[in-house]
Amino acid sequence: MSRRSVGELSRYLLEGRISQRGCINGRRLSSRTVPVWSSLRPPYALRQLHTHSEPAAATEAAAAPQPAHVPLRKQLKEQAKQAKKLGKKKTKGDSQTVDGWELTVGIEIHAQLNTSRKLFSPAATSFNDEPNSHVALFDVAMPGSQPLFQKETLIPAIRAALALNCEIQPVSRFDRKHYFWWDQPSGYQITQFYEPFAKKGHITLLARDGISTEDGESVTVGIKQVQLEQDTAKTLAQTGNVHWLDFNRVGVPLIEIITEPEIHHPRTAAVLVRKIQLLLNTVDSCVSGMETGGLRADVNVSVRKTDDPSKKLGTRTEIKNLSTIKAVEDAIIAERDRQIRQLEAGGVIAGETRGWTIGSKETRRLRGKEGEVDYRYMPDPDLPPLVIGNDLVQRLQTSLAVLPDTELDKLVSHYGLTPKDALSLITLDNGSRVQYFYRVLALLESKLQAEPDISELPEVKSYSTLAGNWILHELGRLTTYKAGPLASGDLSFTQLGECAQVPEEELSQLLYHLYRKHITGKVAKELLMAVYLGELEGGILEAINSNDLWFKEISQEEYEALAAEAAEGEDKVLEEFADEQKYPQGKLMYLVGKMMRLGPTERIDPAMAEKAMRQWIERFHGR
Amino acid sequence: MTAAVVRRSALAKTKWHLNSYRSDAKPFRLAVKDNIATEEFPTQCASGVLGQHASPFEATIVRQLRARGASVVGKTNMDEFGMGSHSVHSIHGPVRNPLAPAGEEVTAGGSSGGSAVAVAINDADIALGTDTGGSVRLPAAYTGIVGYKPSYGMLSRFGVVPYANSLDTVGLLARDVESIRQLVFDTALYEEHDSSDPTSLSVETRQRCSKAVPPTLPKLSQLTIGIPVEYNIDELDPAIREAWSATASALEAQGARIVPVSLPSTKEALCAYYILAPAEASSNLAKYDGVRYGIRGPEADAAGETLYSEARGAGFGAEVKRRILLGTYSLSSEAMDNYFIQAQKIRRLIQQDFDRVFRLDNPLYEPRQFDLSEMSADTALEDKQGPVQVDFLLSPTAPTYPPKLSDIMKRSSIDAYMNDVLTVPASLAGLPAVSVPVKIEQSHQFPAGLQLIAQYWDDRRLLALADKVMKLMAV
Repeated sequence: MSRRSVGELSRYLLEGRISQRGCINGRRLSSRTVPVWSSLRPPYALRQLHTHSEPAAATEAAAAPQPAHVPLRKQLKEQAKQAKKLGKKKTKGDSQTVDGWELTVGIEIHAQLNTSRKLFSPAATSFNDEPNSHVALFDVAMPGSQPLFQKETLIPAIRAALALNCEIQPVSRFDRKHYFWWDQPSGYQITQFYEPFAKKGHITLLARDGISTEDGESVTVGIKQVQLEQDTAKTLAQTGNVHWLDFNRVGVPLIEIITEPEIHHPRTAAVLVRKIQLLLNTVDSCVSGMETGGLRADVNVSVRKTDDPSKKLGTRTEIKNLSTIKAVEDAIIAERDRQIRQLEAGGVIAGETRGWTIGSKETRRLRGKEGEVDYRYMPDPDLPPLVIGNDLVQRLQTSLAVLPDTELDKLVSHYGLTPKDALSLITLDNGSRVQYFYRVLALLESKLQAEPDISELPEVKSYSTLAGNWILHELGRLTTYKAGPLASGDLSFTQLGECAQVPEEELSQLLYHLYRKHITGKVAKELLMAVYLGELEGGILEAINSNDLWFKEISQEEYEALAAEAAEGEDKVLEEFADEQKYPQGKLMYLVGKMMRLGPTERIDPAMAEKAMRQWIERFHGR
Repeated sequence: MTAAVVRRSALAKTKWHLNSYRSDAKPFRLAVKDNIATEEFPTQCASGVLGQHASPFEATIVRQLRARGASVVGKTNMDEFGMGSHSVHSIHGPVRNPLAPAGEEVTAGGSSGGSAVAVAINDADIALGTDTGGSVRLPAAYTGIVGYKPSYGMLSRFGVVPYANSLDTVGLLARDVESIRQLVFDTALYEEHDSSDPTSLSVETRQRCSKAVPPTLPKLSQLTIGIPVEYNIDELDPAIREAWSATASALEAQGARIVPVSLPSTKEALCAYYILAPAEASSNLAKYDGVRYGIRGPEADAAGETLYSEARGAGFGAEVKRRILLGTYSLSSEAMDNYFIQAQKIRRLIQQDFDRVFRLDNPLYEPRQFDLSEMSADTALEDKQGPVQVDFLLSPTAPTYPPKLSDIMKRSSIDAYMNDVLTVPASLAGLPAVSVPVKIEQSHQFPAGLQLIAQYWDDRRLLALADKVMKLMAV
């Protein structure tokens, strides 16, 4: 589907004008030039601006890892970038392997736990609150203050470890990791170096997760350990050589997840980070994803020649602080290629720490081994061992949320969604979109059940796929308007799956009538847009009734007459249907299209028209 | 951020003052060591890096004593951050011993030297000190007063600027044992858990420990007091040895059974202590980097150069720097296994030595069956049950009488560390110990300090015995 220009959209939205090519969703329009919902608008479009902007300001949808529909501006940028890339370099698809070399990657992921208190002080955790408004004495390392472990931080931490199939250790300990930096007021970070609370886990990545094709159907990566640790303060760079410090973040609980070095393809590494993010979200361990700063990854990269499998792993380098999933893949590719170039030129790889800037093509050296900090790990003498009872672990295990893979399987097998759509549904809006799907589906089901003459419910898949399609694609399309001058705002979902802009009651009503063919798809889409823009005061049903949008389908006889009329003068086309072996579907659709144009507007079901035309052709050829 | 901290403290203040006085409060004057946070005085730890530091909150122990009638008369001088044995490493200059003859400058001991002197010259009735390896007992011995180091975990450390957290205890100094005993036990201070201090024993553990030790001291005739043979070191001043022996004889004359006991790991204690304490210190003092605490130098710490070296170089005194370097080395990845880990193992052995000789079990551990093969070959056996077990241990507190300040300045730091050899073992084991002044006839101008050590949480009986010993040996 082609995208509209911003200018075109603004003319349309502000002045109600529309290009001849049709309405906003790109489908062909009938003879009517003004969309149905424009007739529902109050006379003064400008007044709408205020009311529309409110929901936009109130909430902002959380960034999703792979939105089904990216905003227009972003997409344009993305396209331009892509075009530039294609012109210069081979595409990423080719860069998963390098002949003669094996890549090995291990990843460390830092994730902010979803807790209300800091790890060692009762100060509240916060996000974007007034700087330095949640700071306890211990957080700023006040002399004489002491750490107080906050038990409740264990709940999301254990959940995360369980989602990663780890063994929870009955006794673990806290250690101090020393280094000087201004964002670390005590001069050390409290972490779990010697005895972490969870060990020996694993995560399985499937083909549908998007792993590199070289990894086949699935690949399992070991999780070496999961440890609890403190976050640092936030540095707010000012002009000149000035830094401001916000201690709200200092001491916020993190988990660090360390994988075994068992990943051999860049995309699989990226997929692993994305999947861990998804898992942490699902089990309610983690507040936010990478894009909102709640997740950071360090990757360890090494290469070795494939012809000597007994050989030890090559010297590894660590790339620190990758903040997007794309950066994980790009940085690994760049670092692998750099190492191979170095080795092929007869050089050696230095064990060092490197950095990556988004958009760059090369990793850059941060510090070498000689500049490595000796962290001088020491057991924290103020903190007792952390003893985790088996009862707590058992309880959290039984109450653990359904993991995405299980849910995905159900969405595919039971609800008939494609794996791609199912994955999008689960990942969008931090898992809220799929909750919305269940809500809409439940209402749609109850409407179907309420039908007076229903003996049994129709096959689930027949309406669940419709709902899935609309919740993903049609809703996704709505937000493409946000780049326009009206900026009607994003769709936002609560964690329970409620949507203020398109309430589940409205959408299920809409889908019910669509499913039962009481309205056409085109009318349904226009109604959806009207709901989204808050223009339907009386709701869907009222709008259909008052504007008489019911689908009044023509009779079977009228279909047959239309088919005959459309076939008139198309002898050449009809000849092509003579050979039964090679059915010319395109030609058939051409004739159906003609029927649609000839017939009365908004009263023809394309499927019925196609059926009538097919029958007419069969008869024509005497079959 | 400062504002946030100040707000907190304002809140805390209101709370404290609401229930400030207990009904049984008796007014007394309290001196507080400068590493214990107080609200109306600065808390500088006698260090340049905290020269400007006014604590926004008050230590729990100060609050507890205020509720019992304490009025804080002032903060007392000390060795910087508690690191020293003579109270000479201080931005305020050295502490002088009031018992010294006119014209002579003699050490008052350290690191709680100022607290000891405040009590000795009757500026305060009770002084708070901190004892990490002997810092309360040693100055008490040098100034002729009583210095008590409680069981680790009994008195709250919240608000005490740490030197070595796993060894630090808040100690009390007074001119007699009784005022300490009354304050800690009659006002039930020992029962109070502090939820702000993660190393403060829980109420349940306190009750369990209290049940494991007898509540009162029996007659001396029913007591066995051990003389640890390893404490009879070559460096011991003969007059001190004489005081020790005279005290043992006096106790024996009163019916107590005096037996020699062996604590074989004692020889390693000092080494272990001077690995562990500086290691923790180097970590604790990492916060003084000039960003939040300490002084920033005029030079900018540009990225790539050594961060904060200037701030840390300017703020700390020589002895603190020496211990930071020592600790930094023993924690470094190449030295960790050979120093820090070994020292931790020795620490455990020392604690097991004590458990073996004390008749009472250590309430913090499961009772342990000791194998004869673990003991030194010359251990004398009491009966077929094994060697004799004792109720208390008696030893000198310091190997010598207080030396002159001029002599101390000439000595190397290793010599100074030697001074802690008799006090460090009880610290490593977390046991209660008290130093009492003892005078013998024709003796030195200074009293000798004798140390009594008890099993964990046997503090009440320890103080009762200390009171008896002090009265017995008063001249």
